Amino acid sequence: MLAVVVVFAIVLPFALNAAQLATATFVVIAAIGATGLNVVTGYAGQISLGHAAFLGVGAYTGAVLGADHGVTAFIWIPAAGVVAALLGAVVGPVALRLRGLYLAIVTLGLIFIAQHVFFNLDGLTGGPQGRAFPAVQLASFDFSPGQVLDLGGITIDSSGLYYFLGLILLAAATAFAWNLRRTRSGRAMVALREREAAAAVMGINVGRLKVTAFVVSSAMAGVSGALYGSYLSFAQPDQWSLLLSIQFIAAIIVGGLGTTAGPVLGCAVVFALPSLLKQLPFLPEEGSGGLSAGDLTSITYGLLIVAFLTLEPRGLVGIANRLRRTGNGSDVGSSVTPKLTVTTPEEAHP
Amino acid sequence: MRRLLSLTTPLAVIGTSLILVACGTGDSNDNNSSGGKSGTVTGGPGVDVAAKTIRIGDINALTGPASALGKPVAAGHRAFFKALNAKGGIDGWQVRLTIKDSGYAPQQHVQLYRAIRNDVALLNSFGSPTTKAIQALLDKDKLVTTPASFDSIWGDDPVIAPVGTPYSYDIANVLDYYTHSGKDKPKIGIIYQNDEYGQDGLRGYVAAKKALGFGDGGKQTFKAGDTEFTAQIQKLKAAGAKAVVVVALPSSTGPIVGTGAALGFKPQWILQGPAFLEQLITKDGSLDAKPTPVAGALKGALVTSFSAAWGDPKAPGMKGVVAAHDVYEAGAPPSIYFALAYAAGEVQAAILKKAIEDGDLSRAGILKAKENLGKVDLGGVSPSLEYTPKGGPPSTKSLITRIDPSVDGFLKPVEASYGSKVADTLGTGK
Amino acid sequence: MTQFLQLLFQGVALGATYALIALGFVVVYRASGVINFAQGAMLLAGAYTISWLATDVGVPFLPAVLAAVALLALAGAGFQIAVLRRVSGEPTFVLVMITIGAGIAVTSLMEALFGTDPRLLGDPWGSTSFAVGDVTINWVKVWGIVVTCAALAAYFCFDRYTRWGLATQATAEDEEATLSLGVPVRRVHLITWAMAGALATLGGLFLAGFPASPQPSIGDAALRAFPAIVLGGLRSPTGAVVGGLVIGLTEVMTSGYAPSSLGDNFYAVAPYIAMILILLVRPYGLFGRAPAERL
Repeated sequence: MLAVVVVFAIVLPFALNAAQLATATFVVIAAIGATGLNVVTGYAGQISLGHAAFLGVGAYTGAVLGADHGVTAFIWIPAAGVVAALLGAVVGPVALRLRGLYLAIVTLGLIFIAQHVFFNLDGLTGGPQGRAFPAVQLASFDFSPGQVLDLGGITIDSSGLYYFLGLILLAAATAFAWNLRRTRSGRAMVALREREAAAAVMGINVGRLKVTAFVVSSAMAGVSGALYGSYLSFAQPDQWSLLLSIQFIAAIIVGGLGTTAGPVLGCAVVFALPSLLKQLPFLPEEGSGGLSAGDLTSITYGLLIVAFLTLEPRGLVGIANRLRRTGNGSDVGSSVTPKLTVTTPEEAHP
Repeated sequence: MRRLLSLTTPLAVIGTSLILVACGTGDSNDNNSSGGKSGTVTGGPGVDVAAKTIRIGDINALTGPASALGKPVAAGHRAFFKALNAKGGIDGWQVRLTIKDSGYAPQQHVQLYRAIRNDVALLNSFGSPTTKAIQALLDKDKLVTTPASFDSIWGDDPVIAPVGTPYSYDIANVLDYYTHSGKDKPKIGIIYQNDEYGQDGLRGYVAAKKALGFGDGGKQTFKAGDTEFTAQIQKLKAAGAKAVVVVALPSSTGPIVGTGAALGFKPQWILQGPAFLEQLITKDGSLDAKPTPVAGALKGALVTSFSAAWGDPKAPGMKGVVAAHDVYEAGAPPSIYFALAYAAGEVQAAILKKAIEDGDLSRAGILKAKENLGKVDLGGVSPSLEYTPKGGPPSTKSLITRIDPSVDGFLKPVEASYGSKVADTLGTGK
Repeated sequence: MTQFLQLLFQGVALGATYALIALGFVVVYRASGVINFAQGAMLLAGAYTISWLATDVGVPFLPAVLAAVALLALAGAGFQIAVLRRVSGEPTFVLVMITIGAGIAVTSLMEALFGTDPRLLGDPWGSTSFAVGDVTINWVKVWGIVVTCAALAAYFCFDRYTRWGLATQATAEDEEATLSLGVPVRRVHLITWAMAGALATLGGLFLAGFPASPQPSIGDAALRAFPAIVLGGLRSPTGAVVGGLVIGLTEVMTSGYAPSSLGDNFYAVAPYIAMILILLVRPYGLFGRAPAERL
């Protein structure tokens, strides 16, 4: 199964046209960040609406190091992860004090504060005008638009290069997350998610665990953000907005919270949706009034979230499991999707 | 042990993959041209020599904070080229428009540009911050662009063909007018959008302050799309500004002036062109519709405009504008932005005509045609322009008007072609 | 001094509107444990509905407002029946995400229907004002404060003196127990969401008042009201009101007095920073209590 997926992922770019490849590249890059969010929200059960802030921090780190100081991507991509992780280490302790929806709202505040900082540090971020982001340059590989890589007959353009780099990093992140789930820390996170008080009573160092979850999550977000900004080549501070955070949360829910394949599947749905909808035949020509593609995308997007969560809260992985079970006729129990159990204190009846 | 594995595996994967691919990247030649020659005309991107069709791109702002300006601009472009094609095109060449919407967001603008860059021979680009975001790409692709923006930085750039007087010149001129060339020295403040569009207005204000020596009423900024201005108005009021220059989009102008009125602050408002829109005065911009709550506060404001009033009999070019509107885009409200876009179309048609005559519709050919275009007469719709290889702003005089809710279009001309020494001190900005 | 009084008045007026919005959040949260992220969309829908009825359809203003309140109340109840009732067993996270999705859909629907350009609200008071000394008092803000007080008074009466108010409180305490006592809990939820819709309409009405106008950015005000409900504790209506006033005053005072070294638009983040600082000291808000957790 895994081999099929890997081959499919490697072959895919050659079957897509330019616009579709661009979408696929965004999906792959976003999936790195979604994997991170899955660790802190899916495994450890900490609601974080502030994911976009970590993406932004990673993106600007990459921009400042890569474009302003001419550092190679070998350094600024990891550096983006490190700097974002540092921010995660600051936010983690806040999670110690707060639970459930209070934590969600504080992470929401993180987005606003981050945006305020981004808008005002215009030396680093370009202010409201936005700034250009550096293309990835790894040794002799230049990912700038217009550059191509010739591999004995096979041509890979700049989009393709970003796709493959993203794929490699995504594979690394997914492998890390999968492995993490099976270590002591991973199991402790799940215990934390299920019942925080019980976990503490069992001797789990809840504080350190929460910080770890946030650090891992934000490191992945930082790398994802750096690639995201680099691929966009230009971004304004309001790119790193609440809407972006929500897209990531939607992605991991639609995919299947706490699962391994969930982030990728969910990103495929959430981030490919706008381009899919733009192709609908009945939309009027752009700019001639009436329902615009942008509005339709947003409406459908919102309705999809509602429909998905109403009908299958376990996400796409849940649907796949259900189909597999009806096919096999028995509950295999191999990858039982954890039910979303992010408890709020108010749900516990005194 | 497992923990270590969880780190080494991904590292090994990355390392191996990178080593595997041994060569580096190189330049591509991906110009999408059905080139070759037809008769004596060389083709280029966006040019179909066999079908005698030229494609012009238009990255507009049909949604977002500038949509009230972008929609008439798109309508004006469409109307001009439909009329042109109906009349036989340019020497038999038909022109097709590809309109995209970036919502006045620079990063969307960049994405859309990257998507269409190989398919167009000329480009229309709406907005100052948005066009600035793609400027480096335009220069690299040598794509001649007419921006719906009058930033002064375009004067230095050979591939960009602005169709009017730069904002900074307008502000310098109107401040010269307001202070009677420096004889009066009231405190004048400025509230400007925090991006390239606002920056150009600020350039004019700073140059005028230096040359004319009026008092400092404070400089306040805001983001495009902001609607909350209590802070900025308070500070302007506290500084005692008697006049305030407003460099904003109409969706912000209303709240700015309105907040001023709500706080009892009534300076002489001076609006830079795009800050004004007919719909700020009445519900749908027409003379007999219901007035908006801010109409009263806007009365008497000065506005630097860039086109003659709709249907102005003194401007012969207006006939073409109105005719094209009535035939092809009758649903669009009459607007100076429509006329502006029409004028831009005329400039583009003139460039293409010259390039066809010179037999070269490649990127280089079109650029050469633009640089050597010389004078372009727009029949009074906009001040006449001149393009030379030397560059510089195509025009330095300003059309100054005052808001009067009782006239059609709400702008009463005060000075048709005002120039000043202050404007001459401005270069083309940086 | 004039500046201080002027800003004080603005702050109280804004705080009143935030109190309305915050109350809308608290009403829903108390009954069902859901933070209604669609509140911003409901504000927007309320403002646009009033604008549409009053200016496009030509209905006189007061009937337009009442009709819009009724429509939004129906919409809120309808949303509860069609969607939330089906997922009533699911964890809060799911319910919150559903409201987020619904919010996105409704906001975009409003933009598709009404466009993004500012519209006329159609209110009779417009930009009229009177002066008290050197302070300008806008009628729209006066009405905002009056209507907020009336709405709050009505809610407190409902909560304290009616049977449905009692039923709502009981449902908030313990839904299962209340259900087992024969209280029609479903209807309680319906009423709760209908009230949220009604409160949102009123909030939208004043957010769209002079110098603002009905336009998409109004929906963001709901996000700025979050610190208000957090300060007050998610379950406390009194807290919502106090929180709303505090946040409104903070926002306006900061906009007037914040030094520019803190950056442009600092007033927009000031409430959030205040909220975070307070939460670090009192993790359940100023008026909230730490719930007892049974393992």
